[in-house]
Amino acid sequence: MLKPMNIEATDTGKTHRWGVLVVEDDSRARAFFEASVQRSASLFWLGSAGTVHEALAWMAQTTIIPDVLLVDLGMPDGSGLDVIREAVARFPGCEPLVISVFGDEENVLASIEAGAVGYIHKDAAPEDIAQTIVEMKAGASPISPMIARRVLAKYRSLQLAGTLAAAPPEAALGTTTAPSLLSAREHEVLTLIARGFSYAEIARLKGLSVHTVQTHIKNLYGKLAVHSKSEAVFEATRLGLLSHPG
Amino acid sequence: MFGRAGRALAELWLAATLMLTAQPAAAAPAAPAEGTIELRRGTVWTTVDGATHKAPVELSYHWDRQHGGRPGYATFELPFTLEAEPEVPWGIFIPRAGSVLEVWLNDALLQVYGDLTRGNGADYAKAPLYVPVPGHLLKAGENRLQVRIRADSARRAGLSRVTIGAATPVRTDLFESAYAWRFTGSVLLTAFSLIVGSIALALWLTQVDAAATGWRRRDSLYFWAALAEFCWAIRVADGVIAEPPLPWGAWGVLMATCYAGWAASAMMFCYQLAGWDGSPRMRWLRWPMAGMVAGTFAASAIALHREQPYWLTGWLALEIVFVALFVGAFAVATIRRPNVGRLLVAAAALVTLGFGTRDWLVIRLSDTYGETTWVRYSSVFFGIALLLIVLRRFHAASVQARGSVAALAERVAQRERELASTFAALEQVARDQARTHERERILRDMHDGVGSHISSAIRQLQSGQARPEELLRTLCDSLDQLKLAIDSIHLPPGDVGALLAALRYRLEPRLAAAGIQFEWAVDEVPDVKRLDAQAMRQLQFLLFEAISNVLQHAQARTLRIEAEALAGAVQLRVIDDGRGFDALQVPRALAERAAAIGARLALESRPGRTVVQLGFG
Repeated sequence: MLKPMNIEATDTGKTHRWGVLVVEDDSRARAFFEASVQRSASLFWLGSAGTVHEALAWMAQTTIIPDVLLVDLGMPDGSGLDVIREAVARFPGCEPLVISVFGDEENVLASIEAGAVGYIHKDAAPEDIAQTIVEMKAGASPISPMIARRVLAKYRSLQLAGTLAAAPPEAALGTTTAPSLLSAREHEVLTLIARGFSYAEIARLKGLSVHTVQTHIKNLYGKLAVHSKSEAVFEATRLGLLSHPG
Repeated sequence: MFGRAGRALAELWLAATLMLTAQPAAAAPAAPAEGTIELRRGTVWTTVDGATHKAPVELSYHWDRQHGGRPGYATFELPFTLEAEPEVPWGIFIPRAGSVLEVWLNDALLQVYGDLTRGNGADYAKAPLYVPVPGHLLKAGENRLQVRIRADSARRAGLSRVTIGAATPVRTDLFESAYAWRFTGSVLLTAFSLIVGSIALALWLTQVDAAATGWRRRDSLYFWAALAEFCWAIRVADGVIAEPPLPWGAWGVLMATCYAGWAASAMMFCYQLAGWDGSPRMRWLRWPMAGMVAGTFAASAIALHREQPYWLTGWLALEIVFVALFVGAFAVATIRRPNVGRLLVAAAALVTLGFGTRDWLVIRLSDTYGETTWVRYSSVFFGIALLLIVLRRFHAASVQARGSVAALAERVAQRERELASTFAALEQVARDQARTHERERILRDMHDGVGSHISSAIRQLQSGQARPEELLRTLCDSLDQLKLAIDSIHLPPGDVGALLAALRYRLEPRLAAAGIQFEWAVDEVPDVKRLDAQAMRQLQFLLFEAISNVLQHAQARTLRIEAEALAGAVQLRVIDDGRGFDALQVPRALAERAAAIGARLALESRPGRTVVQLGFG
């Protein structure tokens, strides 16, 4: 099911072009994404996979590192989250985006924690899809007010747990991540997003550039992914699955 | 606790039995001991109503029998002969003499018991007497013992046989054992009766049943037991009181009444024990019992006042007949429905009846003098039976109380389990109901939102006249509705700010695509408490409708969303600069939804400015 890779495109043109891999079980959607990518001067098509198995196999034997990964979560043979985790582990420069119809909180948050840096709507216009990918590579990160709200809620509960766990020294692994999860500025930006303000409006309100606002959000994504990993390690250590570091 | 009481009872019973078996030996006239002389014969001078008679006498001398209950004086002269002047100290033992007396030996006054000049006062006939004899008074040859008495009516006055001899056998063998039986025995019996009576009284006072009727009920069985024992304690205590606090007339009436009170109370105890208090056929028995006490009071008063003891003797005969009938009836009832308590009491009652009859014959009719009553001992049986029953009943009551406490606890636990299961069932119902509500909400949602959009898209396609952009708009609306529906699942109830933010996020791309400028003037507003999940969804629909209208019809360049809280009242406004519409024609969908969530809808429209305002609070 793997399409032949567009290798010659990599070195042409002055601006950097990003190689895109799509993992999506719906062939019409695949065709739509391919068309969107092909149409963009900044992107080139690496190929697509219809199952988790295919995607993992592709990543295992590829010689070209994908810059962007578009992943549908609901695959016939598993979850797209596994593909995201594998891609992030294997290719540190690779930035996965989740393909979502609804951009609903559960799926998006789970994807971010697995290592995704954003999501694109399935119903977006073809030019918007390419646009989103390029913006993302330039440092942008979309986040909905609902997700911002959820992140804030999670942050608050983590902070609470952090203050509670601060007393026993063994909990150091868990507590180090919690207070540093959000900087004051990030918290501020996130709060405004949750209240419905756009990046431009936030930039104007806070006297920042839109780019700075975007960077804050993107950093936040990274932190959430790191945090979820350390959380997993902490959990595993607590459960005795891993030996305590040191 | 009860086991210990039972053992104590058994010991008492044993003691009483021993006392009873030993009693006839003590009561029987002892054969004169070695070196003692029993004085039986002599001369008596009696003075009754001023007339004095001299006569030879053979002791014992029972004054009431000789003089029909008239009071008077007597002087007994009892001569005896000694072979030699004794070398050891001597003493005189008088088993019974009274009412008051003086003892003279060879014209020397040895001892005075009471005041011979005053009648109806002290009574020294109750206890045996011992008079030591000064050594020099006795001489070889003829000696003369003189006992002068003053006899009150019906007080068992007189003189028994007198024993004189060496102090050691007379005092230690004769006097001390007799004294123990008469005096010490009375003290012990009184103490025993007081103890039993106190226990019964304490139980009567403390064991209160809160009856179903609400008024507190005491067990009268305890009361009659207590009354019987207290009457008996007073009656027996008389045996040790030589100088009563009342003159003989009143005291005698009191003692007779106590005796009758004891008998009547004991019968009332039996009456309760037999369960006759619950039987209308036996209730009348209480009246003859009361009559018995009153009659004894009257008869003893007459007998003492007139100094004619046969009034009381006759009345007591009647009383014995009545008691015999009662005891017979009780015995029959006991045989019909026996239990340990009733059998014990019936046995005690029969023995007591027998002893009482014997006492009546011996004390009130026969000429024997110096005899003592037997009833005083049989009454111990009665007291023990009574105590046993009282304690058994108390034990049973406390066991029952413990049982009912346990039963109560069990019932409370049972009720708790029922409550818990009811609560669980209710909770289940509530959960089911919540699920049903949620399902209904989702169905209504699909029907109003996605469903209606998709069906209108199908109609548009079927008509063949729909322009592609119209069809596209319908389908976009449908998808937007779906996204809003998904957002609404996580919206915190009442959080209007979150609702507006999500709405903006979902709809802004459409507005941008339509070339409409978007303005966001949303303050932080407090939660609107009365908006539940359902109402939040309605509000979403309402705002979607308003924005959709702007998109489709207004031809606006700018759309502005405002939210503010004025004095706690949240106000939302959707403002556009389109061509406007007739504000009097409020779109039905808007009006209905606003009414459903209790929001004040206000429309204002003119070309260039249309405001849809929703007020909460």
